[in-house]
Amino acid sequence: MATKACTPGPAPAAPRSSVRALMLTLPIVVWSLLMFFHPGTNTDWRSRTAAAITALFMTALFFMMMRTHTTYRWRRLFFVALGVLFPVGFIYNLVLARGTMGIPVEEMIAGRTPFCFMPIPTLILPAALTRTIVFPGSILSAGGASSHAIAAMVGLWLALTLVLGKGWCSYACFFGGIEEGMAAIPARPRLRKLDPRWRYGPWAVLLAMALLSLALFEPAYCMWLCPFKAVTEYVAARNLVGLIQNVIFVLLFAGLVIVLPFLTKKRTQCSYFCPFGAFQSIFNKISIFDVRIDQARCKSCNICQNACPNLSLSKESIARGETLISCMKCGACIDACPRQAAVWHIKGTQVALKPERARLMFLYAAWAMAILFGGSIIAQGIATILHFLA
Amino acid sequence: MSLRSKLGYTAATLTVLVALLTPFVLMGLLSKGFAGLGLHVDEMYSGGPKIRTVPYAAYAVAIHRPVHPHMLQNEMPFVQLDWSPASALPAHVSDTVDIDGDGQPDIRASFDVPVDPKAPLRVDVDSHNPRYEAMHNAGKERYSRLIARVDNSILIRIPLAHP
Amino acid sequence: MAPPVLFSEALALGLASGPACIAACGPVLVPSLLTQQAGFRPHARYLAAFLSARLLGYLLFAIAVWELGALASMLPALHMLPRAFLMGAVNILLACVLLWYAYSARHACGQSCSGSKLVNIGATTSHRAAGAVALGLLTGLSLCPPFVAAGVRAAQLPGVVQALLFFTLFFVGTSVWFVPFLGLGCLVRNQAVVTVARMAMVLIALYYLALGIAMLMEKKAYGY
Repeated sequence: MATKACTPGPAPAAPRSSVRALMLTLPIVVWSLLMFFHPGTNTDWRSRTAAAITALFMTALFFMMMRTHTTYRWRRLFFVALGVLFPVGFIYNLVLARGTMGIPVEEMIAGRTPFCFMPIPTLILPAALTRTIVFPGSILSAGGASSHAIAAMVGLWLALTLVLGKGWCSYACFFGGIEEGMAAIPARPRLRKLDPRWRYGPWAVLLAMALLSLALFEPAYCMWLCPFKAVTEYVAARNLVGLIQNVIFVLLFAGLVIVLPFLTKKRTQCSYFCPFGAFQSIFNKISIFDVRIDQARCKSCNICQNACPNLSLSKESIARGETLISCMKCGACIDACPRQAAVWHIKGTQVALKPERARLMFLYAAWAMAILFGGSIIAQGIATILHFLA
Repeated sequence: MSLRSKLGYTAATLTVLVALLTPFVLMGLLSKGFAGLGLHVDEMYSGGPKIRTVPYAAYAVAIHRPVHPHMLQNEMPFVQLDWSPASALPAHVSDTVDIDGDGQPDIRASFDVPVDPKAPLRVDVDSHNPRYEAMHNAGKERYSRLIARVDNSILIRIPLAHP
Repeated sequence: MAPPVLFSEALALGLASGPACIAACGPVLVPSLLTQQAGFRPHARYLAAFLSARLLGYLLFAIAVWELGALASMLPALHMLPRAFLMGAVNILLACVLLWYAYSARHACGQSCSGSKLVNIGATTSHRAAGAVALGLLTGLSLCPPFVAAGVRAAQLPGVVQALLFFTLFFVGTSVWFVPFLGLGCLVRNQAVVTVARMAMVLIALYYLALGIAMLMEKKAYGY
């Protein structure tokens, strides 16, 4: 394939001095202290230690982002920690509150099923037509294993979506970290040829689950297809159907979250399956931050396309100088591009004019959200581990 | 700097501000806004609102409004009755209940109350009114046909016969 | 002849039952419409064929039960085993048609593509109608709650003609709710939309298949 004649790329940015990187990190230090040590939290030494470790971890990662001008690998450390520690804290809380990871029907009747963000898009149609939430939770907190009621989770999701758009999937989702960790293990992919049409999978799952949730008036995705039921809570199987449901959860988890990411070095559950990710893509249209390809510098080498963990770049989109709608702003393509053609961008501004300014503005907003939501989950996971160690 | 650029940077600055305001203002505001929409959890789970309470000796039976399935929901219509507090119930309960409030008993529910709150429950329901289906040795079979202990209540869901 | 007020009741019942009808037909209708050519006319034609077959399904069922002389007594019984059996069989048939549809739509990647036997992109009119009619007929027979309610009311009418008229007006009331589906015609058709629709059809078909088998085996569809 012929490459384009283009202007030479700039030399990679030299690392910032530690002092300057520290200065840029100061706002995050203040934010971490505010989020992790505000009055009323951390009642015992375990939670105080966990909060301190998490604050230090998040601040150190941001410092490295500032110092090295790179984003992806540092964000990935946070994201993997979030993905691994979320089940630790969550399962511990479940077992503490109800003695099992299975959801008993009593807890559903009491409205104490923890509500995560995943079913939000499939609950919109039933709510719009009947003013009913088809989920066995509570609008406001009902205690038990669910500290987050439906209204709290929806409020948090809306606020984070306003800030991040599809960036939710890189800075807030507490499920994607496991597969991102699995994808990071091999040096190179063992499975390269996958039909690009599979990237439409999340939209198909979204369409099917939204329609079925309305028709059968049940949270169809949670009941049948959520791979993360395998590491959070599952249907307490009391008959053959329950057993089949759990087998589906485990197989989807093993295939999409463990095996395929390892073979492809991609986030396969996010790329091929997750209906929430498809729904969240729509909010990239209103998000002010995006990633662009500077056509003047791009040599069409496709390094960025190979680096993207979410199949959000195609030859056609690169030729247009933009990512696909599913871009989750992880920064992998930007860090991988040897010519600095892939850049952070603020909509309305000239592409590649001041990409570092766009990056800084996005990262301050995104990292603040990561500390607020993901940070508290990481701290809870660490506190749980300390509980078992002490 | 063009107007578009200025608007872009203004919006980006506002986004950073929104992020900073999220834990202090925005999250609570959006949650309250959502809670204020007037949505409710599907009554197939919650059992519907209580409409009447019938007092017995040391306990009471709360009668809920009948629940009808939505759309193609694979359930029967049902009515939920709560015996509470469960701690005040005798070892064996056998009560007639006037569900519809017409002065005539509609069902008789009989069940044992084990000391262990996690022990499985079974119920027999004799129907004195064709509107309510009888149940024999029912456990947790469906949302519309069950006996379960939820907190300090024992609740029974009795399927309604079709018209 | 039944009084006009009864027929306005049928219309009102149909209008009130619209959301349930949309919910019942949506999983079948939306993906199949998305595999059609963009534009108002192809969608209107498809919807007309789908709804006509759905009406036919309603009327055939009503006549059959009426002629058996057991409409009033049979409908409540339909909630028990026979209904579960019929629903199970219909769900399995629906799943088969949807899978066939998804398979047939494999060549449908744009307005100029051809090769499909069922989907209208590049296919003949008769094939197009066949798909819509098959899906419409099966959704018509799937005994959704509003249909059962209308059946119970129609059974109280003195003659089969009035009952059929009642059903027809009920059907007209529900059909008003299908008009917004024409809006899908505005959505651009490309490989992405058709592929999404096909994948969704397969998922929905698998769901119906599982549901149908569970109903035939008299198993509960819940695992708790």
